[in-house]
Amino acid sequence: MMKNASESRQSPAFYALMVALVIMSVGPIILMLTTSLKLNVDVMSDTSSLLFTPTLKNYETVLCDVLWYAPEHVDYCNPTFSRALGNSIFIALVSTAITLILGCMAAYALVRFKFMGRGAISLTTLMMRMVPPAVLLVPVFGIWTFSYGLDGTFTGIILVYVAMNLPFVIWILQSFIVQVPIQLEEAAKMDGANPLQIFFLVVLPVIKPGLAAAAIFTFRIAWNEFLLANALLDRNTRTVPVTIVNSLTEYDIDWGVIMATGMLLAIPPIIFTFIASKQIITGMTAGAVKG
Amino acid sequence: MPVITFKGLKKSYGPVEVIHDIDLVMEDNEFTVFVGPSGCGKSTTLRMVAGLESVTAGQILMDGKEISHLEPIDRDIAMVFQDYALYPHMNVEKNMSFGLRLAKYPKAEISKRVNSVADMLGLKPLLHRKPGQLSGGQRQRVAMGRALVRDSSTLLMDEPLSNLDAKLRVQMRAELAIMREKIDKNIIYVTHDQVEAMTLGDRIVVMQDGYIQQHGTPQQLFETPANKFVAGFMGMPPMNFMDAMLVEESGSLMANGEGFSFQLNTLKNKHHLPASGEVILGIRPSALTPALAGDDSIENTLTLPIKICEYAGALSVLISEIKGSRVSIEVDSKNNFKAGDNIKFSVKPSDVYVFDRNTELAIY
Repeated sequence: MMKNASESRQSPAFYALMVALVIMSVGPIILMLTTSLKLNVDVMSDTSSLLFTPTLKNYETVLCDVLWYAPEHVDYCNPTFSRALGNSIFIALVSTAITLILGCMAAYALVRFKFMGRGAISLTTLMMRMVPPAVLLVPVFGIWTFSYGLDGTFTGIILVYVAMNLPFVIWILQSFIVQVPIQLEEAAKMDGANPLQIFFLVVLPVIKPGLAAAAIFTFRIAWNEFLLANALLDRNTRTVPVTIVNSLTEYDIDWGVIMATGMLLAIPPIIFTFIASKQIITGMTAGAVKG
Repeated sequence: MPVITFKGLKKSYGPVEVIHDIDLVMEDNEFTVFVGPSGCGKSTTLRMVAGLESVTAGQILMDGKEISHLEPIDRDIAMVFQDYALYPHMNVEKNMSFGLRLAKYPKAEISKRVNSVADMLGLKPLLHRKPGQLSGGQRQRVAMGRALVRDSSTLLMDEPLSNLDAKLRVQMRAELAIMREKIDKNIIYVTHDQVEAMTLGDRIVVMQDGYIQQHGTPQQLFETPANKFVAGFMGMPPMNFMDAMLVEESGSLMANGEGFSFQLNTLKNKHHLPASGEVILGIRPSALTPALAGDDSIENTLTLPIKICEYAGALSVLISEIKGSRVSIEVDSKNNFKAGDNIKFSVKPSDVYVFDRNTELAIY
């Protein structure tokens, strides 16, 4: 940010920069939105790039499988896209849930319990996160396919996503759990809570903001991931990013449908983030102890 | 209510022993206050009773039954924490009933108990607020209520008033004393504030460096402190100490120091006095009274230069100095003393405490 934005001489450059940034970030989304509302005729024509009759036909094509009516213009209903959307939602939600459950427990143990190798584990969890997914691709594909037969299954991809996200989630949650005053747990202990009750009834509700942040993070990674999904999944279990790329063939590219899928791909994370971010309220521990 | 007994209680953290061999009996329905400077082991002792710290050696007995290896919930105790430790995600009612809900009490019973305690503590209008929406004093009351709802025989309090501002602390102290009359419980209370200890306790246990220095009623501690530490710790402003040498002069025992010579004819156990004659004299600030001018008949006088006069309403505290050590005197403000005055004070022989300079034990 400029030091003195009100200085008139700097303003044009400043605004030009702002406009450029806005175009760069919003432009692709607008292009995607407009294309998704166009017929292929309009997409291909040179003249009517901005003047066209918006239509929901592309969306109808994508969702033909789940719509309560049969769209007239669809001769053959291709279930690929709606199936991919379902797969994506299922994989992202399940892997997020498993990651959070394991992550919060591991983080709690790392923070509160003293055991041998605690420091080393705490550090290695984060270092695991530094390995790029592309490096993991070949060995994971090999092991999943030839040792366990997990290729093309939800179990296989969910396991990978959980393993990928767990270190970071543990790391985030550790920092939240450290901030839970130990007196709270002692008070619960005095009230007769066993360690599991302390964890579920006292610690977890207090670190809800941390869980929400971790959930957003995990969900988005699982939702957007392409590389491993492309390698591991088959036509019945494919997620949306893989499906979109696979539908770019050399014979036929239905831009309208692809862009409509893209728009639909963008919506669930927004909804999810919106819900989860409601839990991120600062000062969750306000009033617990005198601070 | 059970009698709580410590038998040879010890606590070590690794090689460091912090509580050394404590023996103590706390009688039925007694309000016991552990008091001492920070780091003296009073909180650790309390936490051992609570079951939050393990006992290294020795026993804690409740009516003769060993409890030191029981889980906190099985000890029949409740605790109020220094920082309140309220569950931030639960409202006041849920905070208070947490223990009962865990113990699977029937709903009617829970609400009956919560309501009666809330009535007693004036928490009724706050039952549906979260701790974040409460003031310090209200939180303190909720923490107290949470401990009372459990209806255990013993209540532990770890510096419950230390986070409140001065005015509120005095108010809550009075409320605590009133509450104490209404409930039939053993209370063990930890504080570093000797005023709290004196006003609340039936029995005060003064601790320092993991040892019990003395225990007894507030009067016993104030009037007959066992050693220099207890004498200096109890009472505000603290007792003045000055070095003196004992000499026998024409049949009476005199303590001579810089600028004073006191007669100590009330001393009974003269055989306990150190052979070297080196003692420390202790005089409470309230025991020094201004001597009337021209009256030379009074014995045990001491002329002090006034450095500072701290006016505090009805009483003023004068600060003076003898041989580099500070002496404070509590006087009626009507005397109208000023800094720079040289005032002659007298002290009754019975108000002079004598401590052995080596062992610091009191000699009476």
